[in-house]
Amino acid sequence: MIIIIALIILAVIAFYIIGIYNGLQTLKTQIKASVQEIGNQLKRQASLIPNLEAAVKGYMSHEKGIFQMLTAARTSAQTAVASGSSQDIDKAISNLQAVIPQIRIAVEDNPEIKADTTVTNFMQELSDTADKLMYARRSLIDLAQSYNQKLLTFPSNLIANAFGFKEEAGLATPMTGSHVEVSEAETQDVKVNLQ
Amino acid sequence: MTHYDLVASNQHKSLFIVIAFIAFIVGVVYLMSLAFGFGPDFTVVAVVLSTVMAFGSYWWSDKIVLTISGARPVTRQEFFDFYTVTENLCIGQQMKTPKLYVIDDTAMNAFSTGRDPDHAAICATTGILAKLNRSELEGVIAHELSHVKNYDIRLMSIVSVLVGSVALLSDWMLRMTAWGGRRRSNNENSGQLGAILFIVGIVLALLSPIIAQLIQLAISRRREFLADASGVEMTRNPEGLINALTKITADTEPLEAANKATAHLYIANPLKNLSGGVGMFAKMFDTHPPVVDRITALKSI
Repeated sequence: MIIIIALIILAVIAFYIIGIYNGLQTLKTQIKASVQEIGNQLKRQASLIPNLEAAVKGYMSHEKGIFQMLTAARTSAQTAVASGSSQDIDKAISNLQAVIPQIRIAVEDNPEIKADTTVTNFMQELSDTADKLMYARRSLIDLAQSYNQKLLTFPSNLIANAFGFKEEAGLATPMTGSHVEVSEAETQDVKVNLQ
Repeated sequence: MTHYDLVASNQHKSLFIVIAFIAFIVGVVYLMSLAFGFGPDFTVVAVVLSTVMAFGSYWWSDKIVLTISGARPVTRQEFFDFYTVTENLCIGQQMKTPKLYVIDDTAMNAFSTGRDPDHAAICATTGILAKLNRSELEGVIAHELSHVKNYDIRLMSIVSVLVGSVALLSDWMLRMTAWGGRRRSNNENSGQLGAILFIVGIVLALLSPIIAQLIQLAISRRREFLADASGVEMTRNPEGLINALTKITADTEPLEAANKATAHLYIANPLKNLSGGVGMFAKMFDTHPPVVDRITALKSI
């Protein structure tokens, strides 16, 4: 009788360990897939930009600044796809996010471009790609969070340590720096003067 | 309650509804064949038919619901925001993108259906797609995706098809006996059939409030609050859903494609401001918490 109870307890423990182990491995592959999804979207971005450039070239040949920004966004996306390093990915995303409002302003100012469906289509596609990049990164952050939580909390940490699971970086963001500090100016009430 | 508890509870309730439906139909037919002196064949037929219907509601509830709502599939070109917003949220949730449908109606509403996250569909009216901006639409789609994720769709669609069909049948029988009863009594041959239909109609009419109660029990109103909350967790933008709900309440147009059986699927009650008998019944079948309460809950996030 005692042997049977001991066997049942052992079986339960074994199943628990297998469950945690497989859960961690699944999360690892999902994290990998979400990083690839980010690369996938960057690639899409890099291939969309030349099309947008071609479509708007006729209208804003005088807006040199925008073309430089578009080129910067495209090349940074290509480098990010090639290298896959998180700094390059961040740079590509911020370049894209900087150029979209600029183009939007130029488009709003110019009724001729606004009427051009090719341009508005590419604008839609580009801002959608920015959204997709944001969600792909969020997915990476969430997955890395639940993986790392398992590595640190009891009792799953015992199993994770026994099998040598390492912490996942997730979206590489410096833990210190200006983005986690509040400056004196930011604590003041915002006064908007529309005059 | 964790996500897994929710999923398990929905799966259990779905199974319960299916069994209760078969038991109800077989029971009614058995009692009737006792009362009218029919043989046991009828009960056997009822067992087979109700089982087939129950399985059908599991496998094809999404198609049945979409068909009776007059929905058609959409393309990426036609509804760019609807399509891409759903795609984006699914990237964030690591889930399969559901099939997308629209109802050509200017009323503002949306619902989701299907049997599990791999066989799900989201349907919106063209009115809601035209009147909401991208971030508001994101709030609505995230709400629907959370119904998909926690298997609300399975329970709600099965309830639609099985319990709803009984509710609609009782409506229809009552109307038949009320309008057609007198004419039928002139015909001697169909007298017995008329009497049977009348009795069935009365029984179902008496059952109607019980059926309504059943739908409300299964589709607890808390479900909508939960879907709102987990939808916001996907978008991290409560304002989007708040603005969308405000716009939806301001819109007073009822959705003609909805009925008692499908009303509980929608994000906001589609039967509002309907005059006449259906509107009166709609209050009894009210499966939606007041939108004001939902907005207050969202603001506290």
